Amino acid sequence: MSGNHPTREEDFDLYALGALDGDEKVAFESHLASCADCKVKLADSHGRMALLAFSAPTVQPSPHVKEQLLRQLALTSPGRNTAPVQLKPEREEGVFARWWGILLPLAGAFALASVLLWLHNETLERQVAELRSTIIEQQAQLSQARDVAEMMSARDTVVVSLAEQKNQPEGTARVIYNSRRGLLVYNGHLAPTTPDKSYQLWLVPASGAPISAGVFNPSNGETNSIVAKVPPGTAAKAFAVTLEPAGGKPSPTGPMILVGPVS
Amino acid sequence: MTGETVTELRVSDAALVARIVQRDESALAALYDRYAGMLSSVLNRILRDTQAAEEILQDIFYQLWRSAEQFDASRGSLPGWLLVIARNRAISRLRRHNPASGEELLENTVVLPTNLESSIAQQQMVGKVRSAMDSLPKEQRAALELAYFEGLTHSEIAARTGDPLGTVKTRLRSALETLKRNFKK
Repeated sequence: MSGNHPTREEDFDLYALGALDGDEKVAFESHLASCADCKVKLADSHGRMALLAFSAPTVQPSPHVKEQLLRQLALTSPGRNTAPVQLKPEREEGVFARWWGILLPLAGAFALASVLLWLHNETLERQVAELRSTIIEQQAQLSQARDVAEMMSARDTVVVSLAEQKNQPEGTARVIYNSRRGLLVYNGHLAPTTPDKSYQLWLVPASGAPISAGVFNPSNGETNSIVAKVPPGTAAKAFAVTLEPAGGKPSPTGPMILVGPVS
Repeated sequence: MTGETVTELRVSDAALVARIVQRDESALAALYDRYAGMLSSVLNRILRDTQAAEEILQDIFYQLWRSAEQFDASRGSLPGWLLVIARNRAISRLRRHNPASGEELLENTVVLPTNLESSIAQQQMVGKVRSAMDSLPKEQRAALELAYFEGLTHSEIAARTGDPLGTVKTRLRSALETLKRNFKK
């Protein structure tokens, strides 16, 4: 491989994976240093290998990680003066002695007030950051609600009832769909799944493979609602809910629980 | 999926990074909400230590805060970069190497074959990758997991499993060929 392009496509994946060692690694790196085409291929391999992360079991971080991160930002933002205040006594003994009794308590009170204000400021800034985040989410939710409301009143919006299938758990659902906007709203009641399973909603297009429109795990007795976007202009033949391994699948593999044809 | 899918799609990663450069803490919080779960999963799988995983997770986002202006969207995607950094740091910790210097941002260009900005896209990728991994023969999958989650080279995998080096190489190549085909579907 030295001096020439890697002979096998998998060499890029192996290098991105970190599996090459010894002479193979040295030869790959020496070629890479001077080959722009191979750098592009390697970027694709880095991306492909990064996706292996998704095979890891899902673990959500504790909420305190985000809180600590925001606190860390607040503490290290530029423009903050966290250095302790230093009061320089005057050099003349007479003046110093005269004012010492006044300055010392004042300095102590000033330092205490500074610390309290600084702590209060930290709290306020953290709250502001959290509020900003909330505002962004609310603005987006408002925008989404507007989209849904417009879809509901559009003449080309269809409502599809999904019915339960024989020998499958009980359930009902309704899908409101507008193909022009590529927007759908699902509302349904289904029994909770076991921890290793999820329900998955599918749009069955007039032609082509089913398109996943969401994976969900209903809580006991609660209505599940999904707002999903699909490619605009997708003509739907039917909607269906299947039972899949937890996290869902790229294409349906499990039993069909609910089905509703688009009339 | 929930209603947040549409929410998330409203603000792109690039727009949020631009706001981080302007010192907008809420933009970093939004990116954290978008990608912390994905990163936490891989960190915990590599380290099997929740506390260490959370330390690295916080540090990665703090690095993004400090060096967002270095991120060049034309050189790859943000989640791809975050995944590469997370894996590198976790493996360094696992092998007791010195912590990464924080320069990885400039070292690797990472082009993901898909957009992961929405939670539905991430969920679909979970299904796709797990399905692809499930399709591999047991030995190939084990070799690939040793390479990815433990950062082992060909020779190190051979030493760990006791299999001949040539066998390990063949298994990894075959696994990667299968994955590449499946990812293109």
